[in-house]
Amino acid sequence: MHKMNNYKSIIKGDYQQRTRSYAFLITLAISLYLAYTFVPAPGANYTTVKIGKYVGENNTAWIGHVTAMMTSVFLSLFGFYLINSSIKKDRDTEVGMIIATTPVSNFKYLFTKVLSNFMVLLTITGLVSIMGIILVFARSNGTPFNIVQFLLPYLLTTLPCMFFISSLAVLAEVFLGKWPILQYIGFFCLFGIITANVLPGTGTTAKILIDPFGVKMVMTGMENLVRQQYDATATVGSVGFNLSSGQEVKTFLFQGISWSALYIISRLLWIGISIFAIFIASKFFHRFDVKEKISSRKKKNIITENIEARNVLQEIKRSALPSILTDYGILPFIKTELLMLFRKGPKWFWLVNIGGMIAMFFIPIKIAHQFVLPIVWFMQVGRWSDLASKEKTNRIHYFTYAAYQPLKRLLTSQIIAGIVIAVTLALPLLIRYLLAADLLPVLNIFMGAVFIVLLAVCLGILSEGKKLFEILFFGITYFNLNLFPITDYFGAVSSGKSLALIMLPIIAVLLMISFVKRKYEIEHG
Amino acid sequence: MVLSIQHLSKKYSKEKFGLRDYSLNIENGILGLLGPNGAGKSTLMKIIATISKPSSGTITLDGRDIVKEPNYIRKILGYLPQDFGVYANLNAYEFLEYIAAMKGVGGPNLRKRIEMLLEGVNLIEAAKLPIGTYSGGMKQRIGIAQALLNDPKVLIFDEPTVGLDPEERVRFRNLISDLAQDCIIILSSHIVSDIETIADEVAVMKGGMLITKGTQPDVIKSVAGKVFEIVMEGSAVNDFKTKHLVINSIRQKENTRLRYISDSVVNTSIPCTASLEDAYLFLTKNNA
Repeated sequence: MHKMNNYKSIIKGDYQQRTRSYAFLITLAISLYLAYTFVPAPGANYTTVKIGKYVGENNTAWIGHVTAMMTSVFLSLFGFYLINSSIKKDRDTEVGMIIATTPVSNFKYLFTKVLSNFMVLLTITGLVSIMGIILVFARSNGTPFNIVQFLLPYLLTTLPCMFFISSLAVLAEVFLGKWPILQYIGFFCLFGIITANVLPGTGTTAKILIDPFGVKMVMTGMENLVRQQYDATATVGSVGFNLSSGQEVKTFLFQGISWSALYIISRLLWIGISIFAIFIASKFFHRFDVKEKISSRKKKNIITENIEARNVLQEIKRSALPSILTDYGILPFIKTELLMLFRKGPKWFWLVNIGGMIAMFFIPIKIAHQFVLPIVWFMQVGRWSDLASKEKTNRIHYFTYAAYQPLKRLLTSQIIAGIVIAVTLALPLLIRYLLAADLLPVLNIFMGAVFIVLLAVCLGILSEGKKLFEILFFGITYFNLNLFPITDYFGAVSSGKSLALIMLPIIAVLLMISFVKRKYEIEHG
Repeated sequence: MVLSIQHLSKKYSKEKFGLRDYSLNIENGILGLLGPNGAGKSTLMKIIATISKPSSGTITLDGRDIVKEPNYIRKILGYLPQDFGVYANLNAYEFLEYIAAMKGVGGPNLRKRIEMLLEGVNLIEAAKLPIGTYSGGMKQRIGIAQALLNDPKVLIFDEPTVGLDPEERVRFRNLISDLAQDCIIILSSHIVSDIETIADEVAVMKGGMLITKGTQPDVIKSVAGKVFEIVMEGSAVNDFKTKHLVINSIRQKENTRLRYISDSVVNTSIPCTASLEDAYLFLTKNNA
């Protein structure tokens, strides 16, 4: 009993510390909006869950299943990025050092991290389900509400999936803790593999078993129903946002699926696998005894220790110091900001960037624009995400806010440095378009670079952290790679002049919010 | 140069004040700020350093309102915050160049000035290593160097001796004394001896208010003739402490030597010369 209380206290503390932030509140607001879009309104020009041309009539069963499935897929996508720094936080705040001296076992520590991750995702899932219930009453034309029918898909499909993601985030931190960028890219690839290989096609037993989202079996059940009762030729269903403007969408009556024992076992299996993986990871967990530096750095550490041991503060005669001139330019800022952006992350990662740039030179220009550029830009997520919030996280703001004209000079330099990186990475593509005298894509890519950097700056300043931008950028890139027009900020799908007309006001708003909020911060500390 | 603070208040909520109706004039020289945790020392320093705005009141530097014109003081300000960070992947040169850019200083001598400051704070050998590899004391020294980059006329040091070893503290005090010739220096510390040795004037704060301000002899006057020492058995100590303001106790085998402040002398007590620490403790404890 005493041990259980300990567990509860650790999880509670961890959960409270992570949810008491603006970033989490904004995430909740975005989740609420996304949940609203999971069930398209009558006449909407998109569908979410669809079997061929069929969507279900809005009733408890359909809305419950659709919102649960969409939560499984999309909360996995965003949720991983939301929760994947729980151990890092303990390391950064040095709370980890205290934890390491307590009797808590590695497994218990990691497992509490999984559970607090799960609690965070559960909070969002709860909010989505509430929105689902509201949608049942708003859109089901008076059909009765059945709580069990509504909640069962959440219980059997969504919750095991969220537990798996919670565990995966901890695993990523244990094994790739030193390289956050590899965690991002790794999950991006894993998510892509699952959605590309498991979700499409016929629902075989193997696919149902290896589907961590748990949606394959539900989709198969829906498909069978449509084929048996409505249209024998109905194609395999899809989960996601699909544009359907101009297409005829038919409805079918869906009253839930029968949950097979195989499915329930498969869901329990995923929970079991998650716990077992944590058990294995606990054998490799560093317990905050981290070798911070690579061997050459270690050597340097020894040098600094020696220096400190034999030297003390000397006399500084003010009159002997050479005079200096005033210089209110921003070039030194831009230089340092670029230096910091360049040095961020492992050095070898620049080889990957260069590889991407070379690819943009030689592969078909459309593919380079639609797929390589967003991937190369997404790989800079760690560089851009704290562009304007790093002062606070590094506690440099005491200097920057007391600087001469910090708003005009420093924030501007940060934005320029970020844009320089984005444009430099897109340079091969820009050169190709310029050589082809095709100026519109050049303008669109430039606008895209400005937009994504300003989004990072604005969200960083608003949320005083980097998570929000990271989550959003990941989502945007995912939709970019699926050629979804609404997130096409760099003209990869539609290269018309109208993009500039849309982007310019958005850029202006982001710029305005960033400057206004930063001004307030500078004035009020 | 005169820094004038008039009726300054910083209100965090209806009940919570960081500063309350605080007025003070500061001229060239060293002003030592003393006060317990939560007294408002850092709040006052942040407001003077223009990184926090007061809820009411004014601060002027030579007649110019620095709340309305923060850039006026920023050009001549050197500020060492209590709890500052660094960019771990910059080296000392790069970091100081960055801070120099913030302060709006440059020119051909900048590099030389940075080098001399790094020599002065003894970081020249480690200057090309990432600051992330520095110890706490080294980071504090780079903080001191950055404060002096722009030839400041107003220097604010919030707990500057934290992380410095005893010898470094002595050298830091010498440095401050040298700088004080034509500067306003405001220095806060929990260590009364740091203030005692160098401050021209002392301001004692508590609960966001100014309790007293004056030269050290003026402040010490408040306890003159009231400080005594007494040696007594250990069993009687607790009872004595409930009746008198005991500021120090040293155990000596079965007995305890107590230093206390009182208007009336207790039998067998020996009168002592009052120090700034006695006055500080008397003022902050008596103004509860």
